[in-house]
Amino acid sequence: MASSFMALYMAYSIVWAGVFAYIVYMHLRQRSIRRDIAMLREEVKKHGG
Amino acid sequence: MDKHRLGFIIAIVSAVLVLLTTYLAMFYAPLPQTGVRSADEIMSSVEGSHIQVVGFVCAVVSRTGSPVVDVSETTVFSLADLVDYQRFRVASIEGHLGEQWWTVRPIDATVTSGGPLPGPYVGGEIALGANLSVHAKVVEESIGPNSAITGFSLSIPDSKSVSFDLGGGGFGTMSAPVAQKIFYFHMPSAWISYLAFFVTLVSSALYLKSRDAKYDRWAHSAAELGVLFSTIAILTGPIWAKQEWGVYWRWSDTKLVTTFILWLVYIGYLMLRASVSDSGTRARVSAVYGIVGFVTVPMSLLSARIAPLLRSSHPEVIASNTGGLSPEAGLTIGIAVVAFTMLFITMLIKRVEIAESEEELEELKRTIGGED
Repeated sequence: MASSFMALYMAYSIVWAGVFAYIVYMHLRQRSIRRDIAMLREEVKKHGG
Repeated sequence: MDKHRLGFIIAIVSAVLVLLTTYLAMFYAPLPQTGVRSADEIMSSVEGSHIQVVGFVCAVVSRTGSPVVDVSETTVFSLADLVDYQRFRVASIEGHLGEQWWTVRPIDATVTSGGPLPGPYVGGEIALGANLSVHAKVVEESIGPNSAITGFSLSIPDSKSVSFDLGGGGFGTMSAPVAQKIFYFHMPSAWISYLAFFVTLVSSALYLKSRDAKYDRWAHSAAELGVLFSTIAILTGPIWAKQEWGVYWRWSDTKLVTTFILWLVYIGYLMLRASVSDSGTRARVSAVYGIVGFVTVPMSLLSARIAPLLRSSHPEVIASNTGGLSPEAGLTIGIAVVAFTMLFITMLIKRVEIAESEEELEELKRTIGGED
């Protein structure tokens, strides 16, 4: 029974960790892209683009 | 309504539903009836090897003394896949037990405790619950190695024939009922991966038809999410299998193998995208791949349903008549499917937004590069 509970918690942890990690990954990726875009736009503005 | 506000509302609703699913799975959905411990005690494929079975069984005893399954003077066990009880019953009725199921000769069998279970019962039968310890020898192997007892007959010393029947099949005879609750997240994850790959299929087809880059973004985003959810399904399934079957994985099981192939195919899709630098070529090639690769989805989806042909022990509770869910379990899995679908929609919208930003970034880089 104890190992069954352990298996259950392990499986639920995988689900939650997987989904949460992906959401965090998406957030970081979007932030990084937005930063790059802002930087490039600034660059273009500076050089009179 | 504003697009971002709508996205935010969907995100909140899906998060609430996923939390509700967790609560229902843990505290509301009932545990399935316990069958025998299958796991390591039973597993043996080698003819002549010994097995040890310990567990609780429910026995249906005929008052007239006539056994439900015919037994000889020596005790005969018929071992069958735990989740495939109907197949066992058909084999029993048609007299094919010797051909389709293991037959073992017990060395000793002890009913350690037991007594009548509350009724009502049909005909002249009563039911007994018993804790059983059986030490038996496999004398004939006729089905794959990882099987568990679903029903057997036992002649007891006072010459009455008793037919033990674990009853129900499907959810009725889980040997690891707590771990079965993994199902409430495993199944929706698998469902979402199929849905995601279907979105990839449709978007890929639309891209090839219109050459509109937005369809390529949808196809890519859906495939990435499909891989995420199929990974979750592939990781959680073996955790349940270890508890229920005694092994993490069965390479002989078509459902498991086809799902693994499906996962590899879409990993290949993502790798293909990463390896082609030209956006037009990448979109075109991956659209074709996305369409062709979808063939693995019905392969995985249907493999367990044609189990008698392809040998799969993977439970197919929703769509088969061998299983069946209690109303509480049905409600829980229903909410879980809705929750995961909404979560998928939320994540897909967000992922497509990122893909659009990535494209914008690429465009800016090209512009700057062109000016230089």
